[in-house]
Amino acid sequence: MKKVTLYSLSTCPVCRKVRTFLDENGVPYTLIEVDRLEGGEQWVMTKEVARHNPQGTYPTTVVEEVIVGYDIESLRNKIVGDGDGAAG
Amino acid sequence: MTPERLFEILTPYAAKQGFWLNSDRAFVLDILAGLLKNEERYGYRSCPCRLASGTRESDGDIICPCAYRDADVMEYGSCYCGLYVSEAWNTETIERRIVPERRIRKEENR
Repeated sequence: MKKVTLYSLSTCPVCRKVRTFLDENGVPYTLIEVDRLEGGEQWVMTKEVARHNPQGTYPTTVVEEVIVGYDIESLRNKIVGDGDGAAG
Repeated sequence: MTPERLFEILTPYAAKQGFWLNSDRAFVLDILAGLLKNEERYGYRSCPCRLASGTRESDGDIICPCAYRDADVMEYGSCYCGLYVSEAWNTETIERRIVPERRIRKEENR
């Protein structure tokens, strides 16, 4: 199960292109329009974006693989079999 | 002001400075709507693809045309948000790449 979060700006057409792509492909996602957040909440969110994307630019799309329980097949495929930065 | 009116104003303005507006008119109108939205919110036309801090002083470099436009168009054929481009970019005689952020992140407004 993939968990998708799109950090975007409400004024940014490129962000809208990513949204359209996700919508057209039926991908469920959490949309966070950072420019619409208020002061403290916006500051916290920019730190969260920077954790994923040090440049802190938008759009930033984060795709997290969620593995529930001791699902050994998924653990093996998604972590050990990934190859890029797989668990040591 | 409407995005369409701003489009009419910016087209000759860009040409005078040696730039073109993106040939994707719908995309440009979207960008201009974002600029006008930011002008309404902050009082200045902050780049619609960058998070403004809300204070003119620290956003001075991203008020459109941003301080990075000329270097970006020179290097990539397009500015960061895709509003201003080169002729080669519009005629697709150069590769269209994603323009990386040239702005150095300021800790206090990021």
